[in-house]
Amino acid sequence: MKKIELLAPAGDLERLKIALLYGADAVYIGGTLFSLRANTPNANLEELKEGIEFAHKLNKKVYVAVNIVMHNKELKHILNYLKELEKIKVDAIIASDPAIINMAITQTKLPVHLSTQASTTNKEAAQFWKEKGIERIVLARETSKEDIEDIINNVNIELECFIHGAMCASYSGRCVLSNYFTNRDANRGGCSQICRWDFQLLDENKKEIKGTKPFSFCTKDLSMLKYLPEMIELGITSLKIEGRMRSLYYVATVTDIYRRAIDEYYENKKNYQYNKKYEQILSNCANRDSIPQFFNGKYDSTCSYYNGRNESSNQDFLAIILDYQNNMAILEQRNYFKIGDEVEIFGPKKDAITLKITEMYDEQDQKIEVARHPKQIIKIPLNKKVEKWDLMRKKVDKESEV
Amino acid sequence: MYTGDFMTKIILIPSTKQLDYDCDAYLLGIENLSVNMPIYYNLEEIKKIKTQKEIFISLNKNMHASDLKQLEQTLKELEKLNIKGIFFYDIGVLNIIKRLNLKIDLVLAEEHSQTNYETINYWYQNKVKYAQISSEINIKEIKKIKQNTKAQLIIPILGYQPMFVSKRHLIKNYLEHFNQQNKSQINYIKKEQKIYPIIDEKVTTVYTNAYLNGIKEYTELKENNIEYVLINSLLINKEDTKKIIDKFKKVDKKNKEEYNNDINNILNNNIDTFFLHKETIYKVK
Repeated sequence: MKKIELLAPAGDLERLKIALLYGADAVYIGGTLFSLRANTPNANLEELKEGIEFAHKLNKKVYVAVNIVMHNKELKHILNYLKELEKIKVDAIIASDPAIINMAITQTKLPVHLSTQASTTNKEAAQFWKEKGIERIVLARETSKEDIEDIINNVNIELECFIHGAMCASYSGRCVLSNYFTNRDANRGGCSQICRWDFQLLDENKKEIKGTKPFSFCTKDLSMLKYLPEMIELGITSLKIEGRMRSLYYVATVTDIYRRAIDEYYENKKNYQYNKKYEQILSNCANRDSIPQFFNGKYDSTCSYYNGRNESSNQDFLAIILDYQNNMAILEQRNYFKIGDEVEIFGPKKDAITLKITEMYDEQDQKIEVARHPKQIIKIPLNKKVEKWDLMRKKVDKESEV
Repeated sequence: MYTGDFMTKIILIPSTKQLDYDCDAYLLGIENLSVNMPIYYNLEEIKKIKTQKEIFISLNKNMHASDLKQLEQTLKELEKLNIKGIFFYDIGVLNIIKRLNLKIDLVLAEEHSQTNYETINYWYQNKVKYAQISSEINIKEIKKIKQNTKAQLIIPILGYQPMFVSKRHLIKNYLEHFNQQNKSQINYIKKEQKIYPIIDEKVTTVYTNAYLNGIKEYTELKENNIEYVLINSLLINKEDTKKIIDKFKKVDKKNKEEYNNDINNILNNNIDTFFLHKETIYKVK
């Protein structure tokens, strides 16, 4: 059986490179046109070309999301765009609108992956799309293990399943809350995440039903780390991490953890052991509870956040390594840290270096106590070599390990 | 009364099983295979319906492995009946009909993604005769689609519109979590003084805060030879539903303002034209 693909999100060219360096086999990214997540930077054609060349040198792949629903006025532009993507050797496009799918299949050689926006949940729909020339289906987040097995057992097509990240509260494609609440089109890249708002819940007489917290559609995130061996053994082609809007640190950390877990499983299937520290790192990074959601058929009240939850931003990511010279790590600050802090520096395919910061310097080699300015250049003495693209985070607290 | 040759037919989603409305067609839901309907029928009830009007059946649920057996059986049974067509959301429905070579006309009812003529033509070429147009595009876009397709179009024109369909039982879960009692068949959520119906059955569906009222636009659709409009009677009583259908039957260019006001009054002015005259934002600058 071919080794399963690890597919990571990229909101821009920098995150594309990071995801690949941290172990993704492929990345998905939006262009500046026709892509959901319209409000992340995405990548223009030149940046896409650079990203694709970067990926292909590593023998990895880039898929480009062309996954909005089209309106009439865009139809005349889409074919040119697809031809451009073909020219720069995109490995596949991800689409849900048949107008785009049909053009790509009949007028270009671009492989087409059916977006999760199409909410494919069964073998009959999978068979239809296979016959229409779709190479891969990104299954709906609502598919259970039973649904996936039924498709795999009956249809010979590549399947891509989400393993980690945020969940839509609705079936993808069946939510237009954003359109009606904010006039931003959910199916055209403008989703304003109304499902995370709080509401008053009323009964049929319009009397308020008061729980101790307000009503919300908001769900916990998805994490399939515990189910990784089961997913691999099912015969899924690709495991997808959600999050084109997520930070560089998030992309690097989540990709790194899943890369390690997948490799460890393949290296020794019989004696593979679930690594609780990985779970802790993922949990710290996302700063939200994560559960398996629909895979095990459980989507009860334990899957939801109901309240005006205190969602503080993640402060674990401290700095990105720019260089290593003269036993000195040169960093760019991303969050506050200071002398005395215990930190870890980690990078692709290497063990994390743990250290206590005892001295540090600014760009002018002046001794400082605190790194408080975003993007400030900091130097830290270090006798172990680190590399560009390594990241520094707060040390994972052993006591908080699960 | 509109005096042109073309007749735009009115499909009603009824809220009662007594089908004595003056519409041209009904759209009916089937237990376990339909969502977003005020009432659901079983197959035996469908078989017993006696009416001269066209009957469309909605099988618009997202289908999972456990639904496929019942779906296939239902489609085989429906083929034997005098059904005008089947509304569907899940492409699995189309594949079963194709695989079994069933002679049933189809309506693609992906309520938010039928937004351009190439998409509708794709489905038409795949033997989907009708398209329910997205409720998030405007009249100008609908007309452009009509000019560029052979598919017959169905336009949502009146009633609450579904905005959100979740597999999760969002009301049940909330009540359980906070140990609250609630026997309501329907609930509402409230935000900034606006109130939205929310119904938790097989799925949880959230509807618009107001009834869509497109009676003025209906006259324009008729002039453009649109084949069908769709009235959803969810949360409208039978008497008012009949009055509304009567207005639609009689509306013309001269009386459309008057009839529009009449419908607004029937619906307590809880009305909106939503996207019939505006565009949603594609990308926030």
